[in-house]
Amino acid sequence: MAAAAPPPPPSAAPEPSMAAPETTPIGHPVFTRIRLATPSDVPFIHKLIHQMAVFERLSHLCSATESSLSSNLFLSPPFHSFTIFLLELSSSPIPPLLSPSPSFTPIEKTFNFEIPVNDPEKDAFSIYYGDQQVIIGGFVLFFPNYSTFLGKPGFYVEDLFVRECYRRKGFGKMLLSAVAKQAVKMGYGRVEWVVLDWNVNAITFYEQMGAKVLPEWRICRLTGDALQAYQNANV
Amino acid sequence: MAAAAPPPPPSAAPEPSMAPPETTPIGHPIFTRIRLATPSDVPFIHKLIHQMAVFERLTHLFSATESSLSSNLFLSPPFHSFTIFLLELSSSPIPPLLSPSPSFTPIEKTFNFDIPLNDPESDAFSIYYGNQQVIIGGFVFFFPNYSTFLGKPGFYVEDLFVRECYRRKGFGKMLLSAVAKQAVKMGYGRVEWVVLDWNVNAITFYEQMGATVLPEWRICRLTGDALQAYQNANV
Repeated sequence: MAAAAPPPPPSAAPEPSMAAPETTPIGHPVFTRIRLATPSDVPFIHKLIHQMAVFERLSHLCSATESSLSSNLFLSPPFHSFTIFLLELSSSPIPPLLSPSPSFTPIEKTFNFEIPVNDPEKDAFSIYYGDQQVIIGGFVLFFPNYSTFLGKPGFYVEDLFVRECYRRKGFGKMLLSAVAKQAVKMGYGRVEWVVLDWNVNAITFYEQMGAKVLPEWRICRLTGDALQAYQNANV
Repeated sequence: MAAAAPPPPPSAAPEPSMAPPETTPIGHPIFTRIRLATPSDVPFIHKLIHQMAVFERLTHLFSATESSLSSNLFLSPPFHSFTIFLLELSSSPIPPLLSPSPSFTPIEKTFNFDIPLNDPESDAFSIYYGNQQVIIGGFVFFFPNYSTFLGKPGFYVEDLFVRECYRRKGFGKMLLSAVAKQAVKMGYGRVEWVVLDWNVNAITFYEQMGATVLPEWRICRLTGDALQAYQNANV
């Protein structure tokens, strides 16, 4: 994955902590929803991608603009090309979408946290449904790939990113699980992504999700000037 | 790549051998063409994929059928989803296509070989344009991917396969170059694929084409029962 938020260390409980009923007052519920991104979400997506680039120390390589995103995403029906799931969070139940996509029913889940989540950037990542403030907490970007051996498509996950204040609470797992569930629903054969070989935390997270790290395959990349050289190649 | 025909060793001339004019009679010209596959090519594609599975010793993993191929390929315009270039060869100039795709002008190239090519399976891989026999020699299978950092699509090459009797003559390079050229034409940012880390010949071939092998990234794959488990996951 281009950016995997570092997962909880193996010994930490992967589930959000539940307030023990006999000792504390009611916890802090956080209502969450995973939905398909739409063109109006492009400014948020652009900000999230830039945060991800900063996290990966690759902001010098990040040349995505709102315009390049708008012109490449949303050209095809969901799941048949580049697709983004957004994670939304709110302290109140999230109002239903006005125009839900027929292709995907949003996933809703309520978490209870012992202490409220403090989001120092919430204004930059707020959507208002009427008066209600809903915060964009992360995204997953994926698209179909194809296995000739299986004779079926799969999904390739290009990015999984949760904003810093929302990490270590199970949201990365929720986003990736949503992709896996959609793959099964569509009869797809695989969900794939990449990880850096030294990223032990991410590898552990992915293995706990049921994925295998394939040790022998390496990515080959033809890009930049070496790719441009083919423009006039005598093929 | 799921199957890379072993490339020529680094010391061999990558270009087809030309008969020196003063010593031998005219060589054996082979007319070749790269064109987009169409639904009527599915039986050839299926045979080629199966040969590739045999070459990779992965026939136990092979479950593609002509029907699964037909139902997944050709659903979208070329280059916007799963796309196949076929390599055709003939001892005479290849007749033009009756209905060429507006998206792609076939690439034609004539090779000269010192000795004629012997294809023991020519009948199974022959197409007839009128009376003329044209042989399918290989294919490349690719589809768009997306780099959020670049903000542009690229191509991912899932398969590159040249039938055994046509290897070590520059056809794999021709097929991969055709993909690279198309990527540049469309303003795409990268062409990517995978290689096994012990496949020194393939790595050399790819590096000679201008690709870089990325040493730190590993593929993660969620598939089979582990993927199916997400069907009823409480995401």
